[in-house]
Amino acid sequence: MRPGILFSLVGSVTVTALAVAYAQVAAPGPWKSRAIPEAQGEVKEVDGKKVQLRYKEGPFTGVPQEWGEWRTYVYNDNRPAPQVSRVSMPTNVKGDPKEGRKLFLNRTKGPCSGCHLIQGDDVWPAGNIGPDLSTYGDRNLPDDFVYQMIYDARLFFPNTSMPPWGTVGIFKPEEIVHIVAFLKTQKGNPPFVPPPEKDPDRNPFTRKLKYYFGDNLDPTNNPAVLLADDAMADWAKKGAAGKACGECHAGGPEKSMKGVATRYPKHIAKYGRVMSIEDFLSVHGPETTGVEMPSESQANLNMSVLIKMQSNGMPVNVDLTSPEGKGALERGKANFYKRVGQRNHSCADCHTDDPGKGADKFLGGRLLGNVKAGLTNHFPTWRTNFGKVWDMRKRMQWCMLPLGMNILPADSVEYAELELYLTSFSQGKPMNVPGIRH
Amino acid sequence: MDFKTREQKLTRRSFLSKLGAVGLTGVAVSLGLGSAMQALAQSAPLGAPLPSEKVEDTIKRLFGGRSISPGNGKVKLEAPLIAENGSVVPVTVEANLPMTRDKYVKSIYIISDKNRRPLNAKFSLTPEAGKASISANIRLAETTDVRAIVEMNDGSLYMVKEEVKVTVGGCGG
Amino acid sequence: MAEVGADIGRVRIRVPSTITKGEVIRVRALVTHPMQVLSFDKSKKPIEKNYHFIYKIVVTYNGKEILQAETTQAVSQNPFVAFPLKVTEPGKLVITFMDTHGKTYEGSAEIKF
Repeated sequence: MRPGILFSLVGSVTVTALAVAYAQVAAPGPWKSRAIPEAQGEVKEVDGKKVQLRYKEGPFTGVPQEWGEWRTYVYNDNRPAPQVSRVSMPTNVKGDPKEGRKLFLNRTKGPCSGCHLIQGDDVWPAGNIGPDLSTYGDRNLPDDFVYQMIYDARLFFPNTSMPPWGTVGIFKPEEIVHIVAFLKTQKGNPPFVPPPEKDPDRNPFTRKLKYYFGDNLDPTNNPAVLLADDAMADWAKKGAAGKACGECHAGGPEKSMKGVATRYPKHIAKYGRVMSIEDFLSVHGPETTGVEMPSESQANLNMSVLIKMQSNGMPVNVDLTSPEGKGALERGKANFYKRVGQRNHSCADCHTDDPGKGADKFLGGRLLGNVKAGLTNHFPTWRTNFGKVWDMRKRMQWCMLPLGMNILPADSVEYAELELYLTSFSQGKPMNVPGIRH
Repeated sequence: MDFKTREQKLTRRSFLSKLGAVGLTGVAVSLGLGSAMQALAQSAPLGAPLPSEKVEDTIKRLFGGRSISPGNGKVKLEAPLIAENGSVVPVTVEANLPMTRDKYVKSIYIISDKNRRPLNAKFSLTPEAGKASISANIRLAETTDVRAIVEMNDGSLYMVKEEVKVTVGGCGG
Repeated sequence: MAEVGADIGRVRIRVPSTITKGEVIRVRALVTHPMQVLSFDKSKKPIEKNYHFIYKIVVTYNGKEILQAETTQAVSQNPFVAFPLKVTEPGKLVITFMDTHGKTYEGSAEIKF
């Protein structure tokens, strides 16, 4: 029968592929993306300017810049991080503290308040990843020092989370002069004592944040639960090859998919790479039933929710010990710590709680997640702010933009192995899909 | 505005829509007076933009000059102190007030001061509801006071309010 | 393949699994709907059009109206409402949502003791 022949063919291919895979645990070769066009990260030239095609929806539409000149996670992208600059403050510009304060709060630049608290009732919401600058002026630091700190703090702190604003051109030299002038005005009364706090929530060091998103599995609370119904309809639908998922996967999703998602992302020998459920669907659909399920399509996301729901409550159990798993884990971890993009950030800057890093602290209004907490087991997640369900890849792609890196294709191997690293911290935790967040 | 009036407007809307959006735009914008625009808006499609309103005017429009008593102890408004985003802010209004045939909570208004049009929603109850307690997810344009105003069938009004801070994303999102 | 946002008007209702006669239960309901917000032109004026949102919700129990809500664009996308219902007899709860484009969406739940 046809399924039998298919399985034996796959079997022989698998044996061959396994032999090859075992021999080389190096990074897999480039992958031809099966994502929807908006998720492939293609760079085009429009009217002589480079443009990257991205999702045509918020929040992606708010960040249209193209960042091809800044390094990425791509495995053969060996461009160095921007070189550390040693500078001194220009003397031909008179610093304007008012202008400096505007620049400090400017959301198209930092905003600096994303990491640093300053004085002012209008400062909402400031973050506490960086030191509180409310009385920075009392320290009477030399202008050149402060200028260098903002221009390129790496001269003093090689592993700082602070982007090298001047080196990468986000702030112009004159702008930094104004910010230096502004910071000098941040004085306490008496020195080092900031004005009394009228509102404990204004101050990120005392702000309380309580999650209120409710029962993520309640369909009257989380619209993402309804997507599983859509996927059920697709489960029964015949594709171009005249077959439906249910014909091979007997017993419906509840029986046939139980526990399956706990092992993803995993290395799949047939494709020679680590794949998430979403990655796998993008190739599996066309190859079996003939249904197209490109990464980041609604059909792919819905089916991912449906499949993962069948493993809810079961512990995440990804392979981290086989040569393939270990190799992928190590590469994913290396990328987690790699500095990329115009802002020269690594994931670790925001998502670990090492000294000076941001996990469990506020970046502006957002509490940053800690990778150690293992937060992958609720993806795909409904994003109330956008009225859509996001899988891990779209979440990663979004992260690229504030840090100034062109997105990679949603189904890229680099993202998959990074996802495996993140998932390793969820090992043993119960799956709970779909999630719901802001 | 009762349901019947809305039904009539539906048929007018389908007629007016044949005139095309351009005609409606011209009429609505040229007058520019608050109440006049309001009157015109009533002949416009159900979903046509209404003029912006200050919360004092919203309250005057809804309750005339009727006195509104503080609702502390009688009305509870639950809203997050800090909302992760303004698009979905869950609020619950619970009134510890009778729901009998003779005396019952007739309406619950949810109002957000800094919204372009402060009235988020109005709930109209009957004694058969059993309890005066409703929840809804509302949108807030920015950090604002959110008010719950409860109206009894005898016209008495009670109000409570809470400040809800709206967070903007750090990493943009 | 459902287009994102095309699935307007799906109603979900939740009532407690065990209900005793005379109890005041809490009913939770959600309907998928964009609840379109105003868009503005370059001069910050709202663009004139018939914005697509739910403006009215009617709840009936065994045909009798229990409560009504007038909703606006300041109610979140995929509107969620929860309300009480005093259940003195078994019957059918019907929730009807009306939107500005003339469509109505209905959901119902059977209530037994």
